[in-house]
Amino acid sequence: MADKEATVFIIDLGASMAAVNGGREESDLDWSMSYVWDKISNVVASNRKTLCVGVVGFRTDETNHTLSEDGYENISILQPLGPMSMSGLKALQPKVKPSRTVEGDAISAIVIAVDMIDKYTKKNKWKRQIVLITDGQGEIDPDDIGDIARKMRDSNIELTVLGVDFDAPDYGFKEEDKPSVKKQNEETLKKLVDGCGDDSRLASMVEAIDDLNEPRAKSVKPYKTYEGLLILGDPKNAPAVVEIRVERYFKTHLARPPAASTVVVKEEQAGQSQADEDEPMDGAELTAVRQARTYKVNDPDAPGGKRDVEFESLAKGYEYGRTAVHISESDQNVTKLATEKSFKIIGFVQKEKYEMLLNLGETCVTVASKYDEKSELAFSSLVWALSELDAYAVARLVTKDQKDPMLVLLMPYMEPDYVCLYDVPLPFAEDIRTYQFPPLDRVVTVSGQTLTNHRLLPSDELNQAMSDYVDAMDISNYGIDEDGKPAEYATIDELYNPAIHRIGHAIKQRAIHPEKPVPEIPPVLLRFAAPPTELVETVQPHIDALIHAADVKKVPPKAKGKRQRETVKPISGLDVDALLGEEQKGSISPENAIPDFKRALNSSEEVEQIADATKQMGAIVRSLITDSFGDSKYAQAMEGIGAMREELINLEEPGLYNDFVRDLKKSLLSGALGGDRRDFWFKMRWAKLGLVDKKQSEVSSVTLEEAGEFYKSR
Amino acid sequence: MTDAQKDWRRDENDEDDEAEQELDEASLKAQKDAILLAIEVSPSMLEPPPVSSSRKADRDSPVQAALKCARHLMEQRIISNPKDMMGILLFGTEKTKFRDDNGRSGLGYPNCYLFMDLDIPAAEDVKALKALTEDEDEDEVLKPATTDTVSMSNVLFCANQIFTTKAANFGSRRLFIVTDNDDPHASDKAAMSAAAVRAKDLYDLGITIDLFPIATGDSKFDLSKFYDDIVYRDPNAEANRTEVRASKSGDGLSLLNSLISNINSKQTPKRALFHLPLEIAPGLKITVKGYNIVHRQMPARTCYIWLEGEKAQIATGETTRVAEDSARTVEKQEIKKAYKFGGEYVYFTPEEQKKLRDFGAPTIRIIGFKKRSMIPVWASVKKSTFIFPSEEDYIGSTRVFSALWQKLLKDDKIGLAWCVLRSNAQPMFAALIPSREQSEDDAGTPYLPAGLWLYPLPTADDLRDINIERKLDCSEDLKTKMRVIVQQLNLPKGIYNPLKYPNPALQWHYKILQTLALEEEMPEEPEDLTQPKNKAISKRAGGYLEEWSETLKDEADRATRARSLKREIEDDAPERPAKQRKVAGERPSGSNLSMAQLRDAIESGSISKMTVAQLKDVAGARGLSTSGKKADLLERIEQWVEENS
Repeated sequence: MADKEATVFIIDLGASMAAVNGGREESDLDWSMSYVWDKISNVVASNRKTLCVGVVGFRTDETNHTLSEDGYENISILQPLGPMSMSGLKALQPKVKPSRTVEGDAISAIVIAVDMIDKYTKKNKWKRQIVLITDGQGEIDPDDIGDIARKMRDSNIELTVLGVDFDAPDYGFKEEDKPSVKKQNEETLKKLVDGCGDDSRLASMVEAIDDLNEPRAKSVKPYKTYEGLLILGDPKNAPAVVEIRVERYFKTHLARPPAASTVVVKEEQAGQSQADEDEPMDGAELTAVRQARTYKVNDPDAPGGKRDVEFESLAKGYEYGRTAVHISESDQNVTKLATEKSFKIIGFVQKEKYEMLLNLGETCVTVASKYDEKSELAFSSLVWALSELDAYAVARLVTKDQKDPMLVLLMPYMEPDYVCLYDVPLPFAEDIRTYQFPPLDRVVTVSGQTLTNHRLLPSDELNQAMSDYVDAMDISNYGIDEDGKPAEYATIDELYNPAIHRIGHAIKQRAIHPEKPVPEIPPVLLRFAAPPTELVETVQPHIDALIHAADVKKVPPKAKGKRQRETVKPISGLDVDALLGEEQKGSISPENAIPDFKRALNSSEEVEQIADATKQMGAIVRSLITDSFGDSKYAQAMEGIGAMREELINLEEPGLYNDFVRDLKKSLLSGALGGDRRDFWFKMRWAKLGLVDKKQSEVSSVTLEEAGEFYKSR
Repeated sequence: MTDAQKDWRRDENDEDDEAEQELDEASLKAQKDAILLAIEVSPSMLEPPPVSSSRKADRDSPVQAALKCARHLMEQRIISNPKDMMGILLFGTEKTKFRDDNGRSGLGYPNCYLFMDLDIPAAEDVKALKALTEDEDEDEVLKPATTDTVSMSNVLFCANQIFTTKAANFGSRRLFIVTDNDDPHASDKAAMSAAAVRAKDLYDLGITIDLFPIATGDSKFDLSKFYDDIVYRDPNAEANRTEVRASKSGDGLSLLNSLISNINSKQTPKRALFHLPLEIAPGLKITVKGYNIVHRQMPARTCYIWLEGEKAQIATGETTRVAEDSARTVEKQEIKKAYKFGGEYVYFTPEEQKKLRDFGAPTIRIIGFKKRSMIPVWASVKKSTFIFPSEEDYIGSTRVFSALWQKLLKDDKIGLAWCVLRSNAQPMFAALIPSREQSEDDAGTPYLPAGLWLYPLPTADDLRDINIERKLDCSEDLKTKMRVIVQQLNLPKGIYNPLKYPNPALQWHYKILQTLALEEEMPEEPEDLTQPKNKAISKRAGGYLEEWSETLKDEADRATRARSLKREIEDDAPERPAKQRKVAGERPSGSNLSMAQLRDAIESGSISKMTVAQLKDVAGARGLSTSGKKADLLERIEQWVEENS
């Protein structure tokens, strides 16, 4: 379980905090609060009872706390220490605003915060923290800081002071023309922090805010995926085998962005909130959506050919091809391979002959079990042997009894504190599709000749240009490590999943400021979305040379659609259309409708011929629908319509198609094609086979709106 | 319960799969595939191979091999493409058959025998095919026609009709022709022309013809005689040509295996996952297509079956959505997406949602190059995707891609790329890794095509912390002994070849389903090629294993003594607080007990004073079962200590 944490934020609400400084666009308070809100919303998001926050304001107009001594005026507890909810956050927000006063002492506020923490956490084990945020413009009484610091140490409280525009020489920030009061206060606070122990620190606000933008990976506790023996050999029959007691954990595990839930506006509010769509939606008006399933079977006697069946009347089973295989309750697991938990090495492979592109998923790490010297030694000998031989092991792993076996590749690795085997899942025979692809470094002609000089193959010049470019763009050493030395650029530690942090950032922003638009993508998430600009500048001559040698030409968009007009020929180049007699070219038979239609269009010279072919094809489609028993011929009709649409767009005759489809829709909805054919119209809508609009064909007279309306109207 | 949980997990994964659906050139078509296998039946196709005494000799006639191959294909496709159709047409037969339910049965297509109509295969189809391959040709289906020539135009038109009626509007329709006759109409120009016209019809219908020629003896299958007029270039295929391989027996490969390997490569239609610009440098884009070549095949999930009718039927489920608060049915347009945050919902409008997911237009952008060795071996999260150039959007893509591929291979480098593979998909970082030519001798992956792969890299978010300390190192002697063992037990050629390892769980699942569907006798032992070959291991490394074990035992004894000695010293040290803590704790958590402590506890009998919970810890930490009563636990632990110390 994670530690319990109690944090009190002390916020300077003095009138001076309303000022806008440092070339920023928001007030010092709003700017500072972006840090506090971020931290508080993390607490809200965690939804944990053991993460507690409190908020104290000082230099407030009112005085509102439990200490009734003198010297504690103009300090208010805005949020008592405790868990934080969304509604708590919303209630707190309006309370954080600049006051009209300059009175109120930061040190006294700390005393109050310490008191809050002491009372709340008692003597129990908590991580205690106070964060003081101030612009350092108010009076700070330096007399008691020694006592306060001692008290903080005793209570084991960590103090963080974040000052608006405080000097931070390490961070390269210095405020010019600093008022003397502020200067003095910075020194006082520094002294206080120094007295509070090692974990306490003073920083300039800008450091904290910059740090917020840096994505944070969520740390997850180690998860054990296997514990037991790793075996080589046959323990039952062989006199000696390798048997090592091991533990296996996740090394990588795909993190996913937060998933959106499906929700709906609560009923009592449904009417009202649809009325004013523009109002920002408040989360409280939404309720979750559940799924309810109903089951149907085919029944020729039922209306629509289907009828509902009770869930209770159904049995479990599988499909084998189109055969339904019923599995009775008692042999539920009959199709499951019986397995026993085990981890067995089946053999070894050479490292350089393994391609990591076979890796089928996440990596786990295996180490010898604790407090078992024999296993530790045996494991060590295995890892060392693999490593020295540049070999990997292939093993069959069943993580638990009855789990499906998998094959994993075990790779030796030496870490500073331990030796281990990393493993990745391997594909089985069924997991590989053996598609064929042409070779990349030669061209084989129809006649069987092998060419190495061809427009599909790179010239020597292109090869050289590519080689120079790749070498120049090598980022193996382009980064900078902590000591300022050249290091690998874009290491895995620096890569963050953009989607996770983008959505997380937006959710937090929306929770704190529901009225604000969605923020832009934080630039830090796009750091590795493009090659480093400075490198590109230096490499530019190589890029120019490469582009020149590559001589790549974009295919004009027009040419893609119009390809149909040139006659397609088989590999031999035979002109098939020329084999046909003239008289056959214009008529379309229902058996061979689409090829006949295409041929008729291809041989047409006049618009009338195209119109005639369209008419014939239209009639065939209509009769397919009319003759269809249920939906038996729908697919055929759909295919015909699809062919008509595509061909007529290519021939730039969208008008002919549009006339046809308008007429067809009317017939479908009026029942003129053998009864109720609305289901066919739905299919057409789904497949987007409606009117051809101007975007799809320049010569169309149908606007986008008209085309959209055509789908909607009944 | 477990099932429900499993289904739920699947649903989660499905969202990924849905997004990953292979794109079809024309999206209005159903994303299904139909294969019609047309096998020629002729005297030469029926001729068994010459008799040979060799055990490995071929026994199958070409037709037999083709039918066995068809059965293999059918069984494979039931697993890998459960929604796709398949049919078998025999041509050149004396008998003629089209559809039973068709009025014109057999009249139109002489010498064409539709052995199995195009449909999703049923268990009976597998059975019928099996019977035919096992020489149970009761209906004399496999009897060749007595006429001299069978009209190919007729065969092609027959196929046309089968596809148009049974697989209308399918995204992929393929006619596989298996024949040994490269010139069916040698002397008949008109018949040849008629066939060419019918082939063009098929092309116009979007049906591709894949030819699987069979070569016998030394004869060569000459495509230019006839089939070059019949076969068209696939408009979606790569600019460069893939050769047509003839199947033949020889070189230790039976005709059947040769045919299976050729047909297998076309088992699933080669559909691209995506079609995207690859930005090699700022200002230099080419087009690439992505293909799913490695992909974990899972058994189809359970379905619900209605048994109360005459015939068992699969019930189709429909989902309605209801609001949780009022249980009223919710219309699709009312549904909104919101994020849970601190127990409440945070809402974004659909436009805002879209904006959140928008990281720019889909692209693969190289941001630099690195040494391949810089990718740590553990940097793995997901399967890789194969990419191959296409000339569709940028002419010259192929040569530029080839130059990049050659350079990366030569210098053992990889590209680092930012990828958005579909609009609104999560961006991903990937390494661009080259794969070698299959024919190269030292290629470790002779079953994979040559090209580039998008290898997804983990991000910092995907890394798990590991806090482990194990500092015990074995002696050089033990390492050396283990090295010998490893060297003895290399897999063939020192490579992992997945094609040698069918998934035992998947195969068993479908084997049982097939058995149940056909009401056959249950198989007893599953075939499991993933089990270690223990006999071979003993034979090759048994002696070395014994030597290693001896040495290990000695070293382990010494280490155990050293450790407990160290512990005793520590325990006796005057550091009071540590000691005190131990006393105050009084209950060493079971999992922390060292081997030595455990043995002491057993010898002194103090182990029986431990609580059941502690014993369970002890047992659990050593991978033993934690079930049963205290006595069971004690016995189990004692036995373990005995065996392991």
